[in-house]
Amino acid sequence: MLTPYGLDIIESCLACKMRAEHIFCDLPPAALQGFETIKYATAYPKGAVLFVEGQMPRGIFVLCKGRVKLSICSTDGKTLILKIAEPGEVLGLSATVSGKAYELTAETVDPCQVNFVKREDFLRFLKEHSEACLRVAEQLSDKYNSACREIRALGLSHSAGEKLAKLLLEWSLRNGEAAKIEPRVKLALTHEEIAQMIGTSRETVTRLFADLKKRQIVQAKGSTLLIRNKAALKAMAVTQ
Amino acid sequence: MESTIQSSCLTCDFRPDRLFCDMPPESLKAFDEIKSRASYPRGAVLFAEGRPVRGIFILCDGRAKLSICSDSGKRLVLRIAGPGEVLGLGATLSNTPYEVTAELLDNSQVVFVRRKELLKFLRDNQSICMEVVRMLSQDLHGAYERVRTIAMVRTRHPHITFRPRALVV
Repeated sequence: MLTPYGLDIIESCLACKMRAEHIFCDLPPAALQGFETIKYATAYPKGAVLFVEGQMPRGIFVLCKGRVKLSICSTDGKTLILKIAEPGEVLGLSATVSGKAYELTAETVDPCQVNFVKREDFLRFLKEHSEACLRVAEQLSDKYNSACREIRALGLSHSAGEKLAKLLLEWSLRNGEAAKIEPRVKLALTHEEIAQMIGTSRETVTRLFADLKKRQIVQAKGSTLLIRNKAALKAMAVTQ
Repeated sequence: MESTIQSSCLTCDFRPDRLFCDMPPESLKAFDEIKSRASYPRGAVLFAEGRPVRGIFILCDGRAKLSICSDSGKRLVLRIAGPGEVLGLGATLSNTPYEVTAELLDNSQVVFVRRKELLKFLRDNQSICMEVVRMLSQDLHGAYERVRTIAMVRTRHPHITFRPRALVV
């Protein structure tokens, strides 16, 4: 069967196999039934913008498949990537709840399936289902936690090298690589995007990577990075 | 400031002015039963960053300083919380270690609610749960605003550290 962007679209949340793994989606049956009636399943190509910072909130976007880049813009036009959102995450949540403008810009990195829920529908849904309301609170807390981490990284670390080391270590914990002595990291981002994640320039990131390779701390294999010396990377990640 | 000890939320004079505290009567009664109240001196630390979560703290009066810390012990003040604010809410709901340190700036009266009891209370009281979601959104807005200002300082003057400015709140 032909599908948009080659995505296997999940039409119904009730039949979704990934539901159990996602904090927000794993709702009790009654709430799930309610959610099913208000959501719209949509597919977006790579590079589509779901919402823009400063725009008034239209509703929430539940990411089912693919990844989304969340960025913030400073007044002088520089972009800072806060996070790459993974499936199961709810985007635009706090703006939708509080009625203030979206505080981030969300742009798809891959072709994505996104379930959209209109603001009025979502607020009514939360009023009716207390379990869903708690899940939303939990998602918001997670986001607050990562925002605090971002502030700490930006405000309290000094060198770009330190921040890059922290980022690589964080990525090395994913996909069951955490326990390995030499973990593999899949670099899904360009040097430019990594620079935007740690608040530095593209040139600095390229220079830092060249340096890491020269010191045999990492080894590149296509878009995969093999961390050969985790201890050295950890030493770099500590604030001097 | 000279303050009288308020032992019950039911008779508290401040209640109507406070977003979280101004609950419907039944909810308030249930809340009054699960909370405990204590007076703390100025400088007391309500909770410290990275410590396992115990529950939420509500400032009845006084102010608290919320700060985060780097591995080497450098401190960045996030904001000053005022009377009526609920502290440690995010960590309590997600059951993760406290993400900030809260230190009292005045002699204060503080209400404490244990995590388990708070969760049960929120399940039973739908309208309070919505209020909590709204408060969390506010916190998040504030945090993003802070990221924006810090990032801006960073990109404009990459060679200047901005700690002195960041400490002035």
